[in-house]
Amino acid sequence: MKLSLKYKVLTIVILSIFISAFLYYFGTKARQEQATGEALKDYSYIAREYALDAIYKSTEFPVEVELYPSAHTEAILERWKAISDRYPELDYPESAIEARDWIEVHKAFEDTDLLNGVIRKMYKDATVTSEGLGVSYITLLDYIFYQKYEASNIEDVVIDLGIESPREEE
Amino acid sequence: MKKRIIVIIVTVITLLTIAGYLITERLNAYQDIEEVIEQEFRTLRQYVEDVYAIEFLDDDRALVFYSWDFPAFYNFGVMELEKTWQGWQFVEAISNRMERKRAWLKGVYAEIGDHVILRGPTWASVDKIEIITADGREYIPELGRAAEWQMWYLILEDEPFEEATFILYDSDGEVLHEEVLEFDLNWPE
Repeated sequence: MKLSLKYKVLTIVILSIFISAFLYYFGTKARQEQATGEALKDYSYIAREYALDAIYKSTEFPVEVELYPSAHTEAILERWKAISDRYPELDYPESAIEARDWIEVHKAFEDTDLLNGVIRKMYKDATVTSEGLGVSYITLLDYIFYQKYEASNIEDVVIDLGIESPREEE
Repeated sequence: MKKRIIVIIVTVITLLTIAGYLITERLNAYQDIEEVIEQEFRTLRQYVEDVYAIEFLDDDRALVFYSWDFPAFYNFGVMELEKTWQGWQFVEAISNRMERKRAWLKGVYAEIGDHVILRGPTWASVDKIEIITADGREYIPELGRAAEWQMWYLILEDEPFEEATFILYDSDGEVLHEEVLEFDLNWPE
């Protein structure tokens, strides 16, 4: 039996529709999964860095996550603002903070040269030496985000500059 | 005839591939709850986690109590999973930052799904916690253990309370510590 031309064309058309629909569905799905993954990665990073509380309402496309500042977030912002008040080149994006747009807020820390400049100035202004200590923008970030004093004498510097009040003897 | 067979074979293969893919996808969903939890942590990008407890509310609903983020594990999460015809599925997760440092215990109020949950970290030496509210109600929260820390949690079915006295006991029944904790019932507003 010979296949009629009509039959052949019909088969090809049906197959093409199936394959196109299949490719379109999985192509879209793959793009959505990538976007979802990237968004969740950002939320996890920002929640961790800014000590935020988070409510994950949807982890599928479209992602729905709400972030709220915790008491620890306020402490981070206070340290940041205290330094920014004295060294205005370190931007403290008040409007983005009020709008709780944390991803926008974090852009203030993108320029590491600027951060290095700030920490160098802090050491220059303080009557404390940084000799022999590997002080860099990491020292500044560790102080603002984690109040981490180790591996540098940043605690003496911030006390000396009046950014933090002197520690009480235990 | 030969051509017709080829066309039929090609069609069948294509349809089988599509059906196979869809079936595998569905089958993957029927997993063991612990595998699902691991998968959800990867989805949430909440790495290096500690699971303190899995509480089954009924046959098809579970709450997972955990903390995440190395090395401090200061982010305390609770995740709700629901069993559907597709297997265990993510419903909602809440993560609260609670820096333990030297505190005996911490605690927060949260609503997840239809449930009111109080929870927070405490030391591993604590064997039992007694909660006494201002209006005289008493509760014994569950304790979930992971490494050197524990998480206490209370799934509250009654009226929530704004503050309560927490009495911490060791395994000999001795009082280790007593503290009043306050809860923000309006969180997260």
